Amino acid sequence: MIPRYQRILFWSLVGGIFLMAAFLIHGCRQAHKRLTALNDATPIAAPTSTSTQQITLYLANDADGSIAAEERQVALPQDPTLRARALLEYLLAQYALPTSAHPLQSGPAVDDVFFLPLPVTTPTPTNTLNPATGEQQKVRPSRATQSKGELAVINLHGSFVENHPSGIQAENLTLLSIIDTLHAVFPKITEVRFLVDGQEHDTLAGHADLRRIYPATDTTTTPESPTNN
Amino acid sequence: MRSIPPRKQFATAVLLLVSGTGLFAQNPPRTLQPAQAPSSTLPAKPLPAPSPRTLILLDPAHGGPDSGARLSDNQNEKNVTLAFNNRLRALLSAANFAVISTRTSDPSTAFTTDQRAEIANHDHPALCLVLHATGSGSGVHLFTSTLAPSRQSHNLRWDKAQAPSVAVSRDLARRIGAALLQAKLPVLLNQASVPPVDNLTCPAIAIELAPLPQPGAAPVSNPDYQQRVAQAIVTALTQWRDGNAATELIQ
Repeated sequence: MIPRYQRILFWSLVGGIFLMAAFLIHGCRQAHKRLTALNDATPIAAPTSTSTQQITLYLANDADGSIAAEERQVALPQDPTLRARALLEYLLAQYALPTSAHPLQSGPAVDDVFFLPLPVTTPTPTNTLNPATGEQQKVRPSRATQSKGELAVINLHGSFVENHPSGIQAENLTLLSIIDTLHAVFPKITEVRFLVDGQEHDTLAGHADLRRIYPATDTTTTPESPTNN
Repeated sequence: MRSIPPRKQFATAVLLLVSGTGLFAQNPPRTLQPAQAPSSTLPAKPLPAPSPRTLILLDPAHGGPDSGARLSDNQNEKNVTLAFNNRLRALLSAANFAVISTRTSDPSTAFTTDQRAEIANHDHPALCLVLHATGSGSGVHLFTSTLAPSRQSHNLRWDKAQAPSVAVSRDLARRIGAALLQAKLPVLLNQASVPPVDNLTCPAIAIELAPLPQPGAAPVSNPDYQQRVAQAIVTALTQWRDGNAATELIQ
């Protein structure tokens, strides 16, 4: 026979459990309501319909050091800088997939992409007076830079650079893959420059030079065979 | 005449010996001249000028606070490049090359890439080998500059100093690549912009060791793997030097 005081204690504990469970559920609902209130989905800008388009990604392969073109259907924004950023984020997200032949860590990679027209404009030449003869003479225009087209400045996230695998081949393939993919979608780009968190950076992860300006030319890269003379 | 006491004679001899050794160390003979036969009655021919030994500069990348790539829990790139440098240096010296290394230990403050290029450009080596190691990819990666070959050898820009040597660099990379293939080691030849290669006036190749794939998989720190790579490089460079010497003789 169970004593009476033990039965009372048992049912009191059961009641306490139910009360605590009810309190917990109530707390969860309150927290959920607070979070959903923060994510206000009220439409502010008019929705835009973006159709998917075919783009060419230049995907790197660590095993044979090659870069191969691959067609994909992707929806990209219309604004060129947003479009370039979305394109590069999509490209680098491919490398974070488990099946990637050039594995990179997932996460935000590209902060901004800017386009600058080339060549860099020089001051317009003006006519001057010759101090000796007093005659008007024409100043020859200063030699403009040879480059034409556009310079793309890619501002990478510091976290992307910090987590990038270190090695000449791995870093070089990432840069070439970015340059080639960007050039395929924006053929006007002839030169590419890299920044990290808005600043100049010596190397990507200790090897590939980030201080230089890379030419954006064509591109599928296959390592040379030593036997080819 | 008063004779010098034996203790002073001994001290003088020791001093002379020490000073002679010091002079010898400062000016070591580069090559030994063959001695003239004492019984020869032929008129003495002028001896050929001693040919200087081919100078190779090795640059084991990283060092000091810059540890390079993290290859495993207890292995950094700077240690692997240093070990490979010591191995390659020994084999090159044994093959009668003169060798300079930008570092032979792990210093507390390492040279910057610009300082390494300055050392190399000052010594005018016949070839600069920049040594790296990585945990990604496989086999041996040989990189030469991405600069377009140029014939201009004066008034070079610092960032394009390698341009006149690019053609020779690529030829040497092909030779080393072929020797590595003969040694049954996987090799990839490519071009990349890796400091300080573009700043070097000598022919320059960046050699990156990556893990050896199956069969016979080995990490980059494996001494046997490093020895095989070093041996193949020395074989290629010896053939290149001997070929150059033969061409000079013909001319």
